[in-house]
Amino acid sequence: MTTTELLRTEKLCKTFSSGGIQQHALKNLDISLVQGDFTVIMGSSGSGKSTLLYALSGMDKPTLGEIHFGGQELSKLNNDQLAVFRRKNCGFVFQQIHLLDSMSILDNVLASGLLVSKDRKAIAAKAKQLLAQVGLTEAAWGKFPSQLSGGEAQRAGIVRALINSPDVVFADEPTGALNSAASDSVLNVFTDVNRNGQSIVMVTHDLKTALRGNRVLYLRDGVICGDLRLDPYRPEHQHARHEKLTAFLAEMGW
Amino acid sequence: MKIWHLTSANIRSGKSAAFSLFILIVIAALLLNVGLTVLTKMGAFFDEKSEQLDEPHIVIMTKQSNYKPDYRAYFDNRSEVKATEEEAIILMNSVKFRYGDNDVSLGAAFLNADADRTFGPIRTVEELEGPAQAGDIFVPLGFQSSAGYKLGDSFEMTYQGQTFSYRIKGFYETTMMGTPNMGIMKYFLPDASYRQLMESAGDSAAGMLISAGLHDTNQSSEVRQAFDKQFPDKSMDVNNPLFWQGDSELVKSVGSITINVVAMILVAFAAVIVLVSLMVIQFRVTNSIDDGIVNIGVLKALGYTSRQIIASTALQFTLISAVAAIVGAALSYGVLPVFGGIVTTLSGLIWQTKFDAGMNGASLLVVTLAVLAVTLIASARIRSLQPVTALRGGIRTHSFLRNRFPLDRATGGLQLLLACKAMIMNKKQNMMVAVIIAAITFASIFSVVLYYNVASDKTAFVHLVGAETSNVIVNAAPDADSGKLMADINKLEGVRKSVILDMTSMKLDGETVFTSISDDFAKLENQSVYEGRYPKYDNEIAVTWVVADMLGKEVGDTIVAEAGDASYTYLITGLSQSISNLGQAAYITIPGAQHIMPGYKGTSINVYLDGADNAGFMEQIKKRFGSQVGEVVDMDEMIDGQTSIYISAVFAVMVIVLLITILVVTLILYLVIKKMIVKRKKELGILKATGYTTFQLMRQIALSFVPVVIAGVLAGGVLGSLFTNSVLTLLLSGAGIHKVAFIVHLPLIALICVGLIGLSYGVSMLVSWGIRRISAYGLITE
Repeated sequence: MTTTELLRTEKLCKTFSSGGIQQHALKNLDISLVQGDFTVIMGSSGSGKSTLLYALSGMDKPTLGEIHFGGQELSKLNNDQLAVFRRKNCGFVFQQIHLLDSMSILDNVLASGLLVSKDRKAIAAKAKQLLAQVGLTEAAWGKFPSQLSGGEAQRAGIVRALINSPDVVFADEPTGALNSAASDSVLNVFTDVNRNGQSIVMVTHDLKTALRGNRVLYLRDGVICGDLRLDPYRPEHQHARHEKLTAFLAEMGW
Repeated sequence: MKIWHLTSANIRSGKSAAFSLFILIVIAALLLNVGLTVLTKMGAFFDEKSEQLDEPHIVIMTKQSNYKPDYRAYFDNRSEVKATEEEAIILMNSVKFRYGDNDVSLGAAFLNADADRTFGPIRTVEELEGPAQAGDIFVPLGFQSSAGYKLGDSFEMTYQGQTFSYRIKGFYETTMMGTPNMGIMKYFLPDASYRQLMESAGDSAAGMLISAGLHDTNQSSEVRQAFDKQFPDKSMDVNNPLFWQGDSELVKSVGSITINVVAMILVAFAAVIVLVSLMVIQFRVTNSIDDGIVNIGVLKALGYTSRQIIASTALQFTLISAVAAIVGAALSYGVLPVFGGIVTTLSGLIWQTKFDAGMNGASLLVVTLAVLAVTLIASARIRSLQPVTALRGGIRTHSFLRNRFPLDRATGGLQLLLACKAMIMNKKQNMMVAVIIAAITFASIFSVVLYYNVASDKTAFVHLVGAETSNVIVNAAPDADSGKLMADINKLEGVRKSVILDMTSMKLDGETVFTSISDDFAKLENQSVYEGRYPKYDNEIAVTWVVADMLGKEVGDTIVAEAGDASYTYLITGLSQSISNLGQAAYITIPGAQHIMPGYKGTSINVYLDGADNAGFMEQIKKRFGSQVGEVVDMDEMIDGQTSIYISAVFAVMVIVLLITILVVTLILYLVIKKMIVKRKKELGILKATGYTTFQLMRQIALSFVPVVIAGVLAGGVLGSLFTNSVLTLLLSGAGIHKVAFIVHLPLIALICVGLIGLSYGVSMLVSWGIRRISAYGLITE
């Protein structure tokens, strides 16, 4: 099977300074991500997981180093160029969901979709199809985020991330604020879209969530110290994956 | 102490908002202080100046040949008169000279600078060094402040075809005859120059000046009018324009009316700014309660009482306002000299700014108390807020019942639709912005309409003053048949129409009233009758509402007019308005005038040209009609001269109002947008994360204000267009004006409206530019 590189970093560094004290969140990271992968980034609190996710997605600029994504070097783009890059190539799913309170669910999705396509009819149809696909009924489309359950809102968030058919969906602990049942339904959506070839990069500290990925990167003090490859997720093979992952994490000192 | 801690913490947390509020209050207090100071000082200003300059309270000037010793004797014998003085002068009915950008024709009185006098001695403000030489002249200060002359400049004037050239040796202050709007100006010539001019001008220019000083200035009009009653003959001779009289009350009223109007505009504008500040404070208080509701909950949970929390909010805004009001009052002393400049332009007198603790205290008190009241009202809801409700973020008052502007169905671009959504979300705040913008748009339009009518299309303004806007006045010679002369003039090429309009005075029910006599009032351009109509028949009269009020008459009543020994009863057909002669005027027809002035036939033919050149026409008249005509006056020049002093003053007012409008629009939008960005930070971050560029978000924010600004500007524009005249009428009602009909020049108003909308859009974009510095990640996580 041939693999196509999705993005690659070279000597990626990110440093925060506060009150004159420098904190190196990412240190000289060289990572290569492949198209179609469901990459999971794990690590303890403060290890730099989210920092890495936002640097890879062009949401934040690295202090040093390069990020090559789709033939572009992200670290050389200004904020607006990054915004245009994100709208075309990236989808985002956040732990706090971050739907816009003042807009209906459908409008939340369209606010992203219409940025890229001017064909309002086609985008609306696609949004409705995706919303139905993630199990949101028509009655929910016109509701406001505050009127939905956490799981429903997060599924709407995933539709917003998918509406522009991005190269990759970045998810920052997407089940962190959800109960168990809601988490499962959200993870199933991720698994389904990944099965259809959608690349996903997800930050999590949850074992059950990490099991959905086919690659697990472990971050400690801003450095990748473990890289585990797994077969694509299948519910019937959970046990073997679970053992392999726990062994890896134990080795990482998790 | 606890309250002070809360207050200082609140101020520190919203420094930029506190600063913009501070600026608003500074402007309000500054304008209020300037306006109130000028309004309250203006009345005394002329009296103080008059005393300081030893000015006479009554002045009578006449041709030497018409002078009677009885005139002076009359004043000598009045108990109200303290002292009198008379002196020979050179009196010219029409002297043409350059005043500012215009050639003007005005009466001129030349006094010998070296002659001894008690009343109105020459008091120079600036003077060239060295002794006065032949060819020097001292001119009123207005020539410097209003007409742009400098010391040493050449001053040329033309009288009856002769041109006289002088060097300006000095500028002096005078309350009498110091500005063109008096119709005559006074000059001092050194003895040599005086004699030279006397010789050149001939005996016909020899005049006499009687000056009288009273024990009580307030009696000046009364005594002068009594003089009129005593000697009615001299002023009835309308063929003799070489008679001028004035008193300090009249001079004060003519000189101070425009200044008072300017001051009233400033006070009204200050009131608008104070209201704007109060609305902003109300908005800020409501917002700070919403934003800090959890903190309020914590404070309440810790045991702070509602009173303490409200007191800290009130203290915060009252403190800012009090400090800003003090700064505003202090800064007003920097602005008062500018206003003093306007006063000098209008009056030819130097206005000196003095510290007035009472006035400053009043401005401070008005502003601070208003702010305190608004803050207390706006923060009253803290009382009913339970700690637990506050800790939970308060009661959500917004319910998302309708999804406005749905993106899948609504027409319009994405940015516009998102902007509309944002606009709907902030209804209350947008209402406030719209009202504020409407108010200041109204003020801007008011000032621009005023300027347009004073500087550009002066007709309405001139009519307001009571003058007729003909192009040329041809005075028929005493023995000429004015009716035939007018008919002949009408036949000339370039003449649109002509009408006889004489000015004289007569007694109405015993009161002396300035009277216009015309063959056909319907032909006049200045139709000042606002109720009823002008007289058409010999038994009819129209009077100003001031006269009607004074005599207790109304339309349909009869009134007895007297001239000399003759009297006649007229029917009042209409009420008119006039700003001149303290608003006291009457109007009768020529046949009507003949009842009390047998043989009266009218003299002054007002000619309206159809684009023909005034100078050429006047030349033609003199050549063609020779001895049939007396003096021929270029009215356009005269009007330009008499109105020129108002232009710079009204221009200054317009500039002040427009500048402050720009500042207020900028400050309000800065406050609101800054607040909005902070409030919507997370939302903006989400939009940035999903791929919106900074420019798109800026445009969204700016666009969300555009409909609000347009609504405000349109409301202000429409109100300004419809009610500027009403507001002016209100401001001028004390001066005898009942209805103002200034031209509301719509293209100019449209330009201002478009300018304000453009400015608002630009400011919105500029303020929201701050988003560019914040990364999507930063916006979400902060």
